[in-house]
Amino acid sequence: MSALMTVEGLTKTFGGVNAISELSFEIQPGHIHSVIGPNGAGKTTLFNLVTGVYTPTEGRISFAGEDTRGMPPHALARLGMSRTFQNLQVCMNMTAPENVMVGRHLRLDRRFLPALLRLPAVTRGDRACREKAAELMRFVGLERYLDADADAMPYGALKRLEIARALAAEPRMLLLDEPAAGLNANETAEIDALIQRVAESGVTVVLVEHDMKLVMNISDHILVLNYGKKLAEGSSEEIRHNPEVISAYLGAA
Amino acid sequence: MWNRFRNPYAGLPVLAIVLAVLPLAFSNPYHYDVAIHVLINAVVAVGLNLLIGYAGQISLGHAGFFGLGAYTTGILSGVYGWPPLLSVLAALVVVGVLAFAVARPILRLSGHYLAMATLGLGILISIVISTEGWLTGGPDGMIVPTISVFGWELFGETRWYWVMAVLLLVAVWLALNLIDSPVGRALRAVHGSEVAAQVAGVNTISYKVLIFVVSAVFAALMGTASAHYSGFITPDLAGFFHSIEFVTMVVLGGMASTYGALIGAVILTTLPQLLTGFDDLEMVIFGAILMAVMIFMPRGLVPTLTARLRKGS
Repeated sequence: MSALMTVEGLTKTFGGVNAISELSFEIQPGHIHSVIGPNGAGKTTLFNLVTGVYTPTEGRISFAGEDTRGMPPHALARLGMSRTFQNLQVCMNMTAPENVMVGRHLRLDRRFLPALLRLPAVTRGDRACREKAAELMRFVGLERYLDADADAMPYGALKRLEIARALAAEPRMLLLDEPAAGLNANETAEIDALIQRVAESGVTVVLVEHDMKLVMNISDHILVLNYGKKLAEGSSEEIRHNPEVISAYLGAA
Repeated sequence: MWNRFRNPYAGLPVLAIVLAVLPLAFSNPYHYDVAIHVLINAVVAVGLNLLIGYAGQISLGHAGFFGLGAYTTGILSGVYGWPPLLSVLAALVVVGVLAFAVARPILRLSGHYLAMATLGLGILISIVISTEGWLTGGPDGMIVPTISVFGWELFGETRWYWVMAVLLLVAVWLALNLIDSPVGRALRAVHGSEVAAQVAGVNTISYKVLIFVVSAVFAALMGTASAHYSGFITPDLAGFFHSIEFVTMVVLGGMASTYGALIGAVILTTLPQLLTGFDDLEMVIFGAILMAVMIFMPRGLVPTLTARLRKGS
């Protein structure tokens, strides 16, 4: 099987400091991949690079067979890339379903004049989109918030709302930046189950996560970063027994 | 029952009825004149609210577009003898093209820098209008001919009132349509979280440019209407204070609320008229009222009041 994403020699420099240096890896379609590493290892920087929020200093990134280096996020979204954020990026000026509907932007009639005149083509598409948004909110377990304003929702629910919004695009690859951060054990278990359901539906999931139990439980493939470099790569079993990883990150066993 | 606040279209028939019965309370042309100015400002505020309230982009230069619209139609119809309807259309095109040309570089900025850039743009337009006296009449202003549409002359306060009332209804309807569409959600997402919008596939800069042009054309349209209605225009129309007035209407009435922008325009246009009895104190009281509203209702009148009513139910 050919890789969904290939990263080669990726480097990102901030004011002379290499946040990511000479990083190469592949993401195979249809699995749960995790990126782990101590604080400051460059995990979120890596996410921002592959989703087009940052431009790489050097190196190549290709996604879905296209060279995506330097592509803006909205162009990557067209290729099937979707993501959530470590620090929540929910539109607090909108309702919860509307947030999910924004995620479906590329699949809707976006012409200006029909929208301005409220032509039937637009309202019909919007009604279907509203139903789809409600369906996704149920899928992530937010049926209680179908009428809620985003700014009236608790933190844990907003994390799921971001996942629902990302799924609304029907992406090929979904990047989740610390989906369990700030959640209690119960909520983490629920997110765990949710991520597995998403992966089963055929979406390739890439995860940045601190919660080691979550990562070891659900990942098919793990990439370990340290100081912006690849420390190790492999299955959770291999990573668990890799001496370098143990000393750098997991602590002496 | 407060679900009604969730359906903004419910306000449209109410607005239509208010506009239809309002003239019953008018006893002289002055009342009509004030009402017409309210309507002119209301349409501009509804358009500007799309940019400021919904898309979250400030503009301190929209009077520039208002004035440019007024002068373009004034010059084309008055100096060059174009039929006014054609000169109005030309004014909308001129303003639309100008707004489009400047929008891309300007809207790469945000916050204070965007405010400064739009401020500069507005001042630039008003300076050009003041100094090119050979064409615009300079600071003394210029006379603008009346409009006639297929032989029907649009003249006098009563006729203008009905035209402006229809324009406002259409403007509110268009604004409501836009906000509740994929385009409108993309615009609100630009305000809510620009990076989230981009990741969802929204080309944020294009949407900012789009709504900047739309709001500029709204302002230009009312500039042309104002010019043909009053028959006389001065560079003040494009001035800095006029821009600030428009922004104040949006902020006072309530950002991201179409009816809020409308109420803001009503208050800011009629309040100075009502306060004329206080002579010297007029501006002091006016300023104090604005300050009090912003201190106690920072989200603006309409959003604050509807939120309170919803909670109370």
